Amino acid sequence: MKTYILIGITTLKEYMAYRLNFFLWRLRMFLGMLVTFFLWFSVFEKQSHFGIYSKNILLSYILYSNLISTLTLSSRVAEIAGQLNDGSIINLLLKPVSLFSYYFSRDMADKLINVGFAIFEVSIVVFSFKAPLIPPQNVFLFLPFLFCGIFISFHINLILSFIGFWTTEVWAPRFLFFTLVFFLSGSYFPLDILPKSIYTILMFTPFPSIFFIPTKILIGQINTISLWQICTTVFWAIFLSRCSVVMWKQGNKSFSFWGR
Amino acid sequence: MIKVANLTKIYKTHIKDQNPFKDVFMRKYKDVIALDKISFEIGENESVGFIGPNGAGKTTTLKIISGILYPTSGFVSVNGFTPFDKNPRFLKQIAFVMGQRNQLIWDLPATDTFELQKEIYEIPEHEYKKNVGELTEILDCKNLTSKPVKTLSLGERMKMELIAGLLHRPKIVFFDEPTIGLDIFSQETIRTFIREFQEEFKSTVILTSHYLEDVKKLSKRLIIINKGRIIYDGTLKKIIEQYSLTKRVTITLEKPANDTELRAIDIPIRYMFPKVVYKIRKSVLPEKIKAITQNLPFSDLTVEDETIEDIIKTFFRKNNE
Amino acid sequence: MIKFLQKNLRLFFLYSRFTLKTTLQARVGIVFFLAGKLFRFLFLLVFILLLFGKTKIISGYSLNQAVIFYLTFNVVDSLTQILFREVYRFRPLVVSGSFDMVLLKPMHPFTKILFGGIDYMDILFVIPYLFLVVLFFFKTIAFPYSIFNILSSLLIYILFLFNSLILASAFHIVVLALGIITTEVDHTIMIYRDLSGLGRFPMEIYKEPIRSLFTFIIPVGVMMSFPSKALFGLLSGQFMWYTFGISLSSFVFSLVFWNYALKRYQSWGG
Repeated sequence: MKTYILIGITTLKEYMAYRLNFFLWRLRMFLGMLVTFFLWFSVFEKQSHFGIYSKNILLSYILYSNLISTLTLSSRVAEIAGQLNDGSIINLLLKPVSLFSYYFSRDMADKLINVGFAIFEVSIVVFSFKAPLIPPQNVFLFLPFLFCGIFISFHINLILSFIGFWTTEVWAPRFLFFTLVFFLSGSYFPLDILPKSIYTILMFTPFPSIFFIPTKILIGQINTISLWQICTTVFWAIFLSRCSVVMWKQGNKSFSFWGR
Repeated sequence: MIKVANLTKIYKTHIKDQNPFKDVFMRKYKDVIALDKISFEIGENESVGFIGPNGAGKTTTLKIISGILYPTSGFVSVNGFTPFDKNPRFLKQIAFVMGQRNQLIWDLPATDTFELQKEIYEIPEHEYKKNVGELTEILDCKNLTSKPVKTLSLGERMKMELIAGLLHRPKIVFFDEPTIGLDIFSQETIRTFIREFQEEFKSTVILTSHYLEDVKKLSKRLIIINKGRIIYDGTLKKIIEQYSLTKRVTITLEKPANDTELRAIDIPIRYMFPKVVYKIRKSVLPEKIKAITQNLPFSDLTVEDETIEDIIKTFFRKNNE
Repeated sequence: MIKFLQKNLRLFFLYSRFTLKTTLQARVGIVFFLAGKLFRFLFLLVFILLLFGKTKIISGYSLNQAVIFYLTFNVVDSLTQILFREVYRFRPLVVSGSFDMVLLKPMHPFTKILFGGIDYMDILFVIPYLFLVVLFFFKTIAFPYSIFNILSSLLIYILFLFNSLILASAFHIVVLALGIITTEVDHTIMIYRDLSGLGRFPMEIYKEPIRSLFTFIIPVGVMMSFPSKALFGLLSGQFMWYTFGISLSSFVFSLVFWNYALKRYQSWGG
């Protein structure tokens, strides 16, 4: 256990060494949030409701989903693809730590520091532009779904990186996938403003579980959560984790560990 | 040809502050003197070797003379041009070959890069074909030029780099660690090539290397830089004469000799039967040789200069005192 | 001067030819990449349509106008990507030390590091984007059409697009200069991408001081929003002059900054 805490601390220290880089990364994330926030803010200039959403709830959704997506999507797992490409993965394989645990610790540190800054950024928006933010609700129901979101996102990331066992062109599938994730998980808008048929289909995919559902719980709209939804979330969590483990094992067998 | 006077280069590096705020907004800098008022001249068709420890300023000097870096102060002139101005006519006369750095387009065959060079250096078609032919002939790699660069081995890639770099028949060529990281066969190939190239095309060759073997085989003149200053500028021969006070004497024994017998001559620096190696001062060499021939049962005896490495080490030691 | 331009133009075509060869080698990657770009474009378009499904006007603009703002952003973004894709590869070039090899050549470094790797994939997108702009433009103007008005609006639009390109090239040159001055920033170009991303929607949606910041100080708004505004005839003459002034002065500034950066260049290794 101590090892993994140390791995986390080392990851944090890396950020300190590249302070300016990290600061600019957060600036980029902040700008992204500003666009969505202001867009919705101006929608509510002339009206108080958008479909089933009131101004307060929708803007709260945007701000909270930003925080929670930072928590679930931030990851260092993408490094693995690069390490497979240049052969440096060997260093990790020879260590007495499992790759999964190693990267989970690393990711936790990554998520922690990113969410810390994200909270600060959201506060700036709330205080400077008087954004209505409803207080968090249903926290105990929220936590397990948050963990599922983190878990699912972690394994999706691993699967995308493990593609590196079989091809050097990892970047393009990752780009495509994250474009999908970004839109279909509800970054720009809450998914339920989509037409009902599309929304229903989407709920079968793992995307809404990543941060849409946890956010909805946090802003008090637990009517989204049906038994069916819980089953879907759990199914994807198990299925994706099995996939990544299988890919890892297969990859190790067939990989030739080239590199320079 | 190349004239350098009082050349100074100072790098500003910033000292990392523990306080992140101060580190970004209130930076402290420190000056690192890379070159300290160095001066030298190199004439046409000379071959010069720059040697010195890491960080001495060798590569900095080359990069200033070729126009990559901007001098802090001092005078640099190459064939009448100021290098940093990067006048195209100046750039067409020089070439810079760096070991381990490449300019070949990775995914495509070397011929594509050659074609690019032809356009950049405005080499006429017939001359281009002739130069490619000659260079691939010397390096014996005609069949490699149409394979994608990424499929070639390091040694083969180095050959392609050399051709690409020298296609335009430059008058001055800078070689920065050209044999680094190569196996000994490739090193030998590169050395032979550089020597043949210089003999054939009569260019000025300026070389930096950590392998003194490169310098020994390729340069008549030696410039030693240490901590930004030139501490020696002269021929290789002279430094051997001045700083080489001993000779290596290697004896092959017919039968084992005991310690006392061996030590009577001198303390051997290595003894692994049947070979014994002594380091004997030149002044006493004749009498020691006589003693060896009289007292030791040997079948073979060779006398050699110290290795260049040893000579340079002696030189540095003497200069740091 | 003519010879200089002729030579560098010839080199530009040569580099472009080689870039095409290299691009075509990564066939699977191309498919994924094109799909990703298409999805991103469509999703945001759908998002705008959804927004306007329940709202008539946002910040004073109708659906069709908002779509044109979005399309214009994509046109400018694609055009700059087509031309300046090589800037994304600049940082690794510097860090590996290979940038020195570029400096040593008797050609302008920009021929390689700015224009040397055009993005063919974006060419596929630019043409439909422009076509859609014209389509939606016709939806915004009232019948009966005045040929003169239409042509003059479109002409001004194209003029502003060209202006945006000049501004964009100034941005990219500054990114290049920063790439050789500072060792600490890996992805200055991505910051540019995210800043320009603010221009997907009309600048009016942003509150002060953000709106002024991105119109006057970091002229992203000028680059992305102004062509559309000019198309709708919403830009006063004063603003037009301001626009050209700012892009020209930005361009000059970027060149001065680049030359300064070259003097500060410390090179790598050795």
